[in-house]
Amino acid sequence: MKVWSPFSGGQTRIGRLAPRKPSLAGLTIGVLDNSKPNAGVLLHRVAELLAARTGGSVRGWSKPSAARPAEILDDIAKDAHVVLTGSAD
Amino acid sequence: MPAVVLGTDAFLSLARATSAKHGLPHMPVALVPHPLGGIPAEQARAKADAILDEVLRGLTSDPVAPAATSAAGPMLVEAPEDLDAFQVWAMEQEWSDGLPVLPPTEARVTKILGRRAGDELVATLMPLDGRATLHAIAVNAALAGAGPEHLPVIIAAVKALANPQFNLNAIQCTTHPCTPLLIVNGPIAARLGIASGPNALGNGHRANAVIGRAVRLTLQNVGGARPGREDRATLGHPGKFTYCLAENEAASPWEPLHVERGFAREQSTVTVCGSEPPHNVNDHGSTRGETLMAALAGTAATTGSNNIYLAGDPLVILGPEHAQTIASSGWSKAELKQRFWDAARVPLGRFSADNIARFRLTHPERFESAGPETLLPWASRPEDVMVIVAGGPGKHSAIVPTFGATRSVTERIDA
Repeated sequence: MKVWSPFSGGQTRIGRLAPRKPSLAGLTIGVLDNSKPNAGVLLHRVAELLAARTGGSVRGWSKPSAARPAEILDDIAKDAHVVLTGSAD
Repeated sequence: MPAVVLGTDAFLSLARATSAKHGLPHMPVALVPHPLGGIPAEQARAKADAILDEVLRGLTSDPVAPAATSAAGPMLVEAPEDLDAFQVWAMEQEWSDGLPVLPPTEARVTKILGRRAGDELVATLMPLDGRATLHAIAVNAALAGAGPEHLPVIIAAVKALANPQFNLNAIQCTTHPCTPLLIVNGPIAARLGIASGPNALGNGHRANAVIGRAVRLTLQNVGGARPGREDRATLGHPGKFTYCLAENEAASPWEPLHVERGFAREQSTVTVCGSEPPHNVNDHGSTRGETLMAALAGTAATTGSNNIYLAGDPLVILGPEHAQTIASSGWSKAELKQRFWDAARVPLGRFSADNIARFRLTHPERFESAGPETLLPWASRPEDVMVIVAGGPGKHSAIVPTFGATRSVTERIDA
């Protein structure tokens, strides 16, 4: 028998990811901490290791709750060239 | 700008669903073994070395975009005719909640929709930004076993859930068990048989059952929160099948919820709250409001609730007998809320040192200068405590904590 699907119909559009440069030398690596336990610890450690290996520098931001979107994305876009962030736990 | 998302392997599906919703399923994700929280910082730091190369690759080489697929509008699909086989099939399609569902045939959905235009958009629902058209809602109502008479309540609930102050994305995806509790007010409750009295939150009332379930299936199927995938609930609770009641306005000594919120008594409304299951308050002894308050506040003042550190508008459901006890002490609803807010407090010192440290990090403005003796209220202000009257005879009430980072929303029902 024929039945209606309960999912909504809609286009799946594929967006464009920002183009990458081949090297991080001289670039500012942004870290956006989502406030989940140890997120900042892991993100900053990865950023430090990246900066040491590639010659970039690190700058950190955090959002106060993992449950709400970040309000500081424009600031990050102005001051960082690439960004590391966390998802969930 | 180039970005890489870091997460743990247990949460890959949520990270992927979030990036896909933004049209970026090819966003680089670097995973460490779960858990990351609840372990010493040194161990968390050590996980960084293993993913360094992957992160560097994600930041310096362009990922390949997948081909776009598109599906526009409602879809008719071929399903097994046999009802038992349909159940198995519906679970495989990830349409169902585990209980039997009715096939959303063209006839059944058309009957539920009536004369309404199916392509009218009611709301878009997170986490998928799914389009909740009247048609999509009617299909989920059909699955749930709801009829055309239930549709106006379901539509109003969906609208309310999409209101930004409800924070649907968080409610849908969190590890916390919360799910929307639907509270119906006004004349439609009696007309549809939405129970407000004995066992109102239990079994035995078709309208409560199918309205709550239709909303839940819409959230799962249109909003895109599948258990274990985008819906990350650690344990969940049975309200995720259905969680709906009407306020017992006849038994209430005070104004009902919707009138408090500025609606006319004769205007039917539905209020959505991102809620835990109810915690019972048994008090057979109190004959005055003051002593009953001790039982209510004592049940609310626990360290396990989100409301203590995330605020929000938690709920008190007074059984009619308890409501009478309080009213006979001469208190208005506002006074009841004030006294409850004053009494339902947890000393900060009852939390562990690790948790206090975490509160200070995430909410410094509130916890920086708080000491172990500081008494933490259950909501930011007395007005934020919600109070309704529901249930039948008996000396029980209920405390319903919420997710905290959510505010309830009341929407009018157009029937």
